[in-house]
Amino acid sequence: MTAFKKLTLTEPELVQALQSKDPAVLKTLYSMYSSAIYGVISRIITHTELAEDVLQETFVKIWQSAAHYDNTKGRLFTWMMNIARNLSIDKLRSKDFKNSLKNQDIENNVSFVEEQNKVTFNPDILGVKQLVDNLKPDLQAVLDLVYYKGFTHVEAAEKLDLPLGTVKTRIRLAIIELRRNFN
Amino acid sequence: MSVENLKAYIESGVLELYVLGDLSPEETLQVEEIASQYPEVRDEIAAIEQAIEQYAMQNAVEPSSAVETRLFEQLGLSEIETPETVQPAPAYTEAPKIIRLDESDGKVRTLRYALVACVALLIISTAALFITYNKLNDAHDQIASLNLDKQKFAGVVSKLEFENQGLGNMAAMADSREWATINMTGQPFSPASKMKVYWNKKDKSVLINYIAMDLPKADKEHEYQLWALVNGKPVSLGVFGKSDSTSNEALVKMPAIQEAQAFAVTLEPMGGSVNPTMEKLTVMGGV
Repeated sequence: MTAFKKLTLTEPELVQALQSKDPAVLKTLYSMYSSAIYGVISRIITHTELAEDVLQETFVKIWQSAAHYDNTKGRLFTWMMNIARNLSIDKLRSKDFKNSLKNQDIENNVSFVEEQNKVTFNPDILGVKQLVDNLKPDLQAVLDLVYYKGFTHVEAAEKLDLPLGTVKTRIRLAIIELRRNFN
Repeated sequence: MSVENLKAYIESGVLELYVLGDLSPEETLQVEEIASQYPEVRDEIAAIEQAIEQYAMQNAVEPSSAVETRLFEQLGLSEIETPETVQPAPAYTEAPKIIRLDESDGKVRTLRYALVACVALLIISTAALFITYNKLNDAHDQIASLNLDKQKFAGVVSKLEFENQGLGNMAAMADSREWATINMTGQPFSPASKMKVYWNKKDKSVLINYIAMDLPKADKEHEYQLWALVNGKPVSLGVFGKSDSTSNEALVKMPAIQEAQAFAVTLEPMGGSVNPTMEKLTVMGGV
């Protein structure tokens, strides 16, 4: 096995190896990104076991649909993160997630999702909370819903009782704020 | 799209939603279409992506290591996904073991070859060393015998030089008018002995020539002493050893004597005597 393969690669190297189905690259990819992706998943799904299941599913899907990734349309991480977000949201809304809760109304999905994710930050996520605290409260509220809880902007608009355009603008401002923080 | 429209488009927040995967398939296609036409849009998308990626990196949460194990078990770390291999789960756990055994077998075989190669190399090296050692001994012997030859030749050369000097001097003395050659002949103590002494008429110096002497070999306690007879009285001109290889000079200069009627040589104890021992008068000759 290529146990001594270096554990960081540039993005083009990663993509090329991933698309040629080099098994070693999956290990590299996992060591580079699993914790960042798990950070995204575990904010949407607070239940550790389920969140880890989704992480596993995410990497299975990355491996199996690597050929569909098109680097002209965005960064590899964005693609992987969106797989993780979609699988997380699917999991939240899936039958096996709510099998203990009967008669769950489709219309109540949003509030249901919210209830499942009552803001019970575990210590691992405290750093995030602090970062977002630096944002203005109205920006924070939107980012909270969209990034942490897996809301769509439409759901967030409903939840916050705001026009769609305002929600979009606030998401943009929140991300601009993040960009400023990181630069 | 005009510059104003492009700016408004960027500021609408649709690109953020695009990066967050929060657009319908139609809207997504539209964003990609516009991004392919306008580099400003592409740059904006890249900046949003980087911010979100850094945000995710800085807020990473380490999953338990069991997830990785389960993931690679599930994928079998193999590109081939045939239904048969999926069905019996234990087959997966067995397969890597077989591979490992093969691998270690291969390693053992490689090591065995390596060992054989090492032993062969050792034997060859030992043989080569032995041959070299023998050659070295031969070389040492040759050097020793050559040294012996060299010493022998050096001895011969120095003897020849010694004799050549003495003979050269004899020839020169015979021709010279400055030098008087006194032939001393054997006396009753040693009738067969003879010896020449050269006396310079001008500066009165005295020379003896080992080549021009034939005296019995003196023992360790004795040496020869040269005398000059001046008005009937013996005057010592010093002692000299019998000719041998320790001396490089065939000619020896003895003390000068102003006048002498005869020269004589006696055998005296080591260091010489004040008066000659007449019983051991070896050779004598008049001027």
